[in-house]
Amino acid sequence: METTNNNMKSALLANKTFPLLMALACAAIFAGTHLYITYGTGAFNEIFVVQMLDEGLTGGDYAAAAGFATGFLLARILEGPLVGILDIGGSLMTGVGIGIPAMMLAAGITAPLDNFAFSLVTGAGIGIALGLLIIGVRKAMPEGLSASGTDVMMGAGNKTGRFLGPLIIISAIQYSIPAGIGAFIGAALAYRKDRPIAGGAILGAMLLAGVFAFM
Amino acid sequence: MTGLIIKSIIIGLLGGGAIAAGAARMFHSPESQAMGAFRTLGELNACKGDPIAHFSFGLGFFFNAAAAAVATGALTQDVLHRIVPNFAAGALLLKNKSVEETLYDPSKMIVTGAAAGAVVVTFLNTLASVIPEQLSIIAKEILSPAASLMINPVMPIIFWLAALDAGKKTGVWATILGGTGQMIMGNAVPGLVLGILIGQSIEEKGFNKSVKVMLGIIIALFVIIAYFRGFFAKLGL
Repeated sequence: METTNNNMKSALLANKTFPLLMALACAAIFAGTHLYITYGTGAFNEIFVVQMLDEGLTGGDYAAAAGFATGFLLARILEGPLVGILDIGGSLMTGVGIGIPAMMLAAGITAPLDNFAFSLVTGAGIGIALGLLIIGVRKAMPEGLSASGTDVMMGAGNKTGRFLGPLIIISAIQYSIPAGIGAFIGAALAYRKDRPIAGGAILGAMLLAGVFAFM
Repeated sequence: MTGLIIKSIIIGLLGGGAIAAGAARMFHSPESQAMGAFRTLGELNACKGDPIAHFSFGLGFFFNAAAAAVATGALTQDVLHRIVPNFAAGALLLKNKSVEETLYDPSKMIVTGAAAGAVVVTFLNTLASVIPEQLSIIAKEILSPAASLMINPVMPIIFWLAALDAGKKTGVWATILGGTGQMIMGNAVPGLVLGILIGQSIEEKGFNKSVKVMLGIIIALFVIIAYFRGFFAKLGL
């Protein structure tokens, strides 16, 4: 028993199995986007990134989602082998979960996103391809590119999240007075409890606006 | 509803298992190519192998993810970045306090990660789907304007300023590629991101072959996008 367990452990640590893990992760994330398109829930990403895909789904313009997300995918694929840890946020959740679906939908390819089994298979295929690519880059290791660009991007990426809270409060006030009051009280409470204020603002706005709507 | 639950369980099992195993590999990086994030590695270390710390850290983000899922159907990146790895680690550490034998072992993390993923994803998705439609319409109508302001102009400005602060060459390249991106794709962020990568590479390693190859790919990409978005037609070409 102990030896089989050790075999399993070393197998899962080998670089050969990395594309397999990538396949499983990408299958899940890509299928999560299928869930979002079909049921309106289940995308593995932040609110504002999913909203970019939504713009395409409702308005037909996928440029923002495709451009933004594939830019991140490209950058993270270059960085991952350089530092030894692939950032799953930018590469898989944003790149594979939002960018590739946006490109497919923009090109009129809907089948991989409409069917659950098909979405799992497509995601797995993308994952294996990316996994092999990353292991390949690891071996070839382009010395000419610098990984420090990703620090700049990461800093900017983390800053963007902070802007959403105040933007939601402003937008809630424009929507209606109860929603606005709910938003800033919710945000203030969330801030006091050291939670991100965007979550507090949305919940507060929904709660108070909902109470008024149902009255 | 049953369809959503079955699909959520499958997605959670696959994604949770793979990500938890990828997180275990982070402790063997750089020999093993890992997947996760540096902040996840730092946070897992900060919990010092205490199961309660892992569970409560994950739970904090779980509430936030639930709020986002209910409001918009976006589960947030924290599900795979933070909640699943910490729940998976916490479950293993309840029985065995040694992190070397638990958190660092991908063959164990893959099992508890799959279980944690299935439970968390299914719970969030069913929670989101039982919310009255009227409430989610309110959330959508508040969030859409906020998110579109975020995409344009807030995000381009943040990335632009970050590029300008990162040195002369980075600032110049980001400004040129960002401006081109805004013109062709309607959003400057992808151009800025690529400009930052190119600029930083030139700043540190010089205008070498890799940079030229990268630049060639970017130009080709821009031309293709411009063609498909009808940009050339707009110019009368």
